[in-house]
Amino acid sequence: MKNSLILFLFIGIVSSCDEPITIDSQIIEPVMIIEGLVTNVERNHYVRVSTTVDFYDQVASQPITDAVVSVSDDRGNIYNYVHNPTQSEELNGLYLSNIPFAGEVGVTYTLNVSARDVNYTATDELFPVPTIDSLTVIINDDEFEDPEEEGQFYEVLFYMKEPQKTKDFYLFKFYKNNKPLRDDDNDIYFSDDDLLAEDINGVPTAGFFNLQDTSVVEMYSISRQGFLYYNDLSNLLQNDGGLFGSPPVNPRTNLNNGALGFFQASSVESDTIIVKI
Amino acid sequence: MKQKLNPKHFRYPKKHALGLLLFFLATQLALSQQKFTLNGYVKDAENGEELIGVTVYVKELKTGSATNVYGFYALSLPVGEYNITYSSIGYQPVVQTVLLNADLEMNVELPVLITQMDEIVVTDKAIDANVTDIKMSRNEINVKQVKRLPALFGEPDIIKTIQMLPGVASAGEGTSSFFVRGGSADQNLILIDEAPIYDPSHLFGLFSVFNADVIKESELYKGGIPSRFGGRLSSILEVRTKDGNNKKFTGNGGIGSLASRVMLEGPIKKDKSSFILSARRSYVDVFLKAAGEENSVHFYDVNAKVNWKHNNNNRFFAALYLGRDVFDFDDTFGFDWGNATATFRWNHLFNSKLFSNTTLIASNFDYKMELDDDAQGFEWTSNIRELTFKEDLNYFLNPSNEFNFGYHISYRSFDPGVIKPSSDKSLFTRTELQEEFALDHAFYADHQLKVSNKLTFLYGARLSIFQSIGKSDVYLYENPTDNIDVVRTDTLSYDRFENIKTFVNFEPRFSARYIVNPRSSVKVSYNRMVQNTHLISAGTVPIPFNTWAPTSYYLDPQLADQVAAGYFRNLKDNAYELSAEVYYKDIDNVTDFADNARIFFNQDLSTEYRQGDSWSYGLELMLKKNEGKFTGFTSYTWSRTERKIPGVNIDQPFLANYDRRHNFNIVGTYEYNDKWVFGANFTYTTGRPITLPSGKYEFEGYQVDLISERNGFQLPDYHRLDLSATLTPRKNKGKKLQGSWVFSIYNAYSRKNAFTIYTQNKEDADENPIRNEKEARLIYLFPILPSVTYNVKF
Repeated sequence: MKNSLILFLFIGIVSSCDEPITIDSQIIEPVMIIEGLVTNVERNHYVRVSTTVDFYDQVASQPITDAVVSVSDDRGNIYNYVHNPTQSEELNGLYLSNIPFAGEVGVTYTLNVSARDVNYTATDELFPVPTIDSLTVIINDDEFEDPEEEGQFYEVLFYMKEPQKTKDFYLFKFYKNNKPLRDDDNDIYFSDDDLLAEDINGVPTAGFFNLQDTSVVEMYSISRQGFLYYNDLSNLLQNDGGLFGSPPVNPRTNLNNGALGFFQASSVESDTIIVKI
Repeated sequence: MKQKLNPKHFRYPKKHALGLLLFFLATQLALSQQKFTLNGYVKDAENGEELIGVTVYVKELKTGSATNVYGFYALSLPVGEYNITYSSIGYQPVVQTVLLNADLEMNVELPVLITQMDEIVVTDKAIDANVTDIKMSRNEINVKQVKRLPALFGEPDIIKTIQMLPGVASAGEGTSSFFVRGGSADQNLILIDEAPIYDPSHLFGLFSVFNADVIKESELYKGGIPSRFGGRLSSILEVRTKDGNNKKFTGNGGIGSLASRVMLEGPIKKDKSSFILSARRSYVDVFLKAAGEENSVHFYDVNAKVNWKHNNNNRFFAALYLGRDVFDFDDTFGFDWGNATATFRWNHLFNSKLFSNTTLIASNFDYKMELDDDAQGFEWTSNIRELTFKEDLNYFLNPSNEFNFGYHISYRSFDPGVIKPSSDKSLFTRTELQEEFALDHAFYADHQLKVSNKLTFLYGARLSIFQSIGKSDVYLYENPTDNIDVVRTDTLSYDRFENIKTFVNFEPRFSARYIVNPRSSVKVSYNRMVQNTHLISAGTVPIPFNTWAPTSYYLDPQLADQVAAGYFRNLKDNAYELSAEVYYKDIDNVTDFADNARIFFNQDLSTEYRQGDSWSYGLELMLKKNEGKFTGFTSYTWSRTERKIPGVNIDQPFLANYDRRHNFNIVGTYEYNDKWVFGANFTYTTGRPITLPSGKYEFEGYQVDLISERNGFQLPDYHRLDLSATLTPRKNKGKKLQGSWVFSIYNAYSRKNAFTIYTQNKEDADENPIRNEKEARLIYLFPILPSVTYNVKF
């Protein structure tokens, strides 16, 4: 259950108001943030290294440009990463593997980041992912009657078979015309398979579409650690200040030495549909 | 007024009762001489309701007693002629002259005191009880006054008044939870006619389940808790409903801006048996439907009770409560929850000194959530059920010695949840969480000993024996507190009623009162409480979807020790009651959860349990005025509450969610004349501790808060003034109906009180996100909010 669900239900009943409030900023030591992803798709994989900033800063985070980054696997391969090969200022803090490579199912990957005199490591196993059977398009009746945006009342449905014999965890990413698509800024689409039956038949994906829009659905396998990370991150992004839900707290990470963020190894399955009837 | 004088022959106590008594009586029996017992019930002459706490005073011996919670009293006196005075606030005292040369039953009816005004000042207890009674850390909630106080949406609610008592904190407006002396919301035992209510909220706490129409008496125990109560650490809220008028048919009804109520009561057989039936339903959904809105929400309550007096020695009561909230969104998604309780009670007089109360109680709380959808449809249900048998005995040995003892047994089943797919096309598979069962026995006894006219002791103990039982499976883990790599190593299977683990706890209780002078007294108390039912909630305010778990293989009993001391003083002929109390409470094994705990539908929930320490201390002041045109109370509390939970907040102590440094309240009504009564509430309290970000960062395009300390911030101070006016037009002669209007203004100066704070990506005036910027936003609920309620009595 989403942490903020009850809050929004509650304030829906009583018609509340809200307004900005300034929090007294504490000055605290910046915390190292590391984000990395290795997939089974052959490419130059990325790692992003940065530190936290003040809550009211007008930047998202403070990039670290002089870290030493590498990824190794349990088969003896080591991939070195280089900082921002294109030298574009926007991509500061982004490290890419110096050669393209594809992760393999069953292999455990280890990230090593050395930054500001501290070594950070994280490991994650790459699990298989089932295939997406198909995507279909329907008209959403409610949106058709009262669309939020003109003409955007098509919905993309998703079909797959959930393997019942294995313990699986999933992360979904949706794109509309190649841009990431979420119903809300803070939504994360992830699931374990605890409650899932084998047939997933026509589950709606995020957002609504116009005719001729391109919809892409990506399904990532994640480890249990990854599932817990996204679960915690989702709770933190949607927390209600500890009123009905639990108080906000930093997500559990696979990084050590006090860094936050996550290093993820995934298989990716993707499908595309052009919206038409 | 009628009194029955029925001299009766002495009868021996039943054998088993006698056996239990021997232990206490060893010293007392030696001293006994030729004495007879005077006993009976004291009732309201107008409606036949039994009166609680009526002073029964023997003029010649300068001694006395008071009626118990069933309106029963007993005095053991030497042979002689006595003048007995029965007195209670709001009633005309009645004096009876009795010649006691055999055991005598004397039932008395007290006429209501007709003041110039109305009967609102009636609280049925002894006039100087604040000073003379041994009880401390207790507050009665005057329902008649609550009905004239300003109320949110015009719906009178005792919980909202409880939240203003000294030592009690709330989570802000619009919530029905309350926090007593540094205890969390689930540490309150909430009883309606002795049956537990597991969730007292309607509409997520906007209102409580208590319909003010049917409440006879409600009392909050914060400390010095008698040994007949157990099971929760911090407080007992005991709500007793009316028995029903056994003289004549009456009723009343009310139409509020949110809900309507109707109540009927009357004799089944005059003076022998009566009934009361009451119902309340909200009707916002009716308006919503009319406005074409497809979402709807409503709640209802039904209270019913019958009682009959078989003869003077046997009385029976049966009470029912049923309440439910129903939410429906677009006919596709919906959820509902509710309590159902039933109480059957038999009051029996074994003999003139031994009063027995035998009770059978059933309680059920359940919720359901449902989504009607081809691909994702499901039905999620959960419940907690309880069946309790109680045998409580009062033995009135003599005016200086009173004994209470008994045995309670409860069987509980905890079904934390079942998810069923709504059709075979649904993506859900049927999933059940492990059901748990428990058997809870308690033996208790206490002795109220009047050492002298000044000094009284109440001491006793409760022995709690709690068994976690089958049918159930217990999973063994490689590391039972590792919630990341959960590795089950084995499963222990237990059969139905097979013992899994037994927890025995001894709970001593002690109170003492010393009367300094007729106007003031000093009281001290100590109590230990044990709690074996644990609420699975990591927030501040419980929601109906939180489940409960019994003490079990992985969950230890929670233990609280509390000491309290107080000074009590009455002023101006008992018109004012002043009390000052200090307390210290220490809790071991307080149930909490790991950071990031997954508490909903987690098959390995036990890996999330973290039990730790909690401690709280405070000072509470209260000044109360019970009579005159102006009545009400003002209270001030200074307190501090901390918790230390292994693994939470890097093992450092943190302020509890319900820690409040200062809390100041005024509650009052003023009778201007016989038409108008004015009421007001004012509350000021330190803001709730809250966890807010100390920085932020970006991860995969999400802007994430950095958290550095649990409850390191505080919401802004909370304060609010509410006003009310009750208009009772003069009744025309010959007209049967008496109407009245209650006008309320909630939050009179429209203070924007913080409900909570959340953060989001900053948006510009057109709600477009501003890149890379975040903001914190404060939610506040009610601006100034007027409401009108019309009540009618017939």
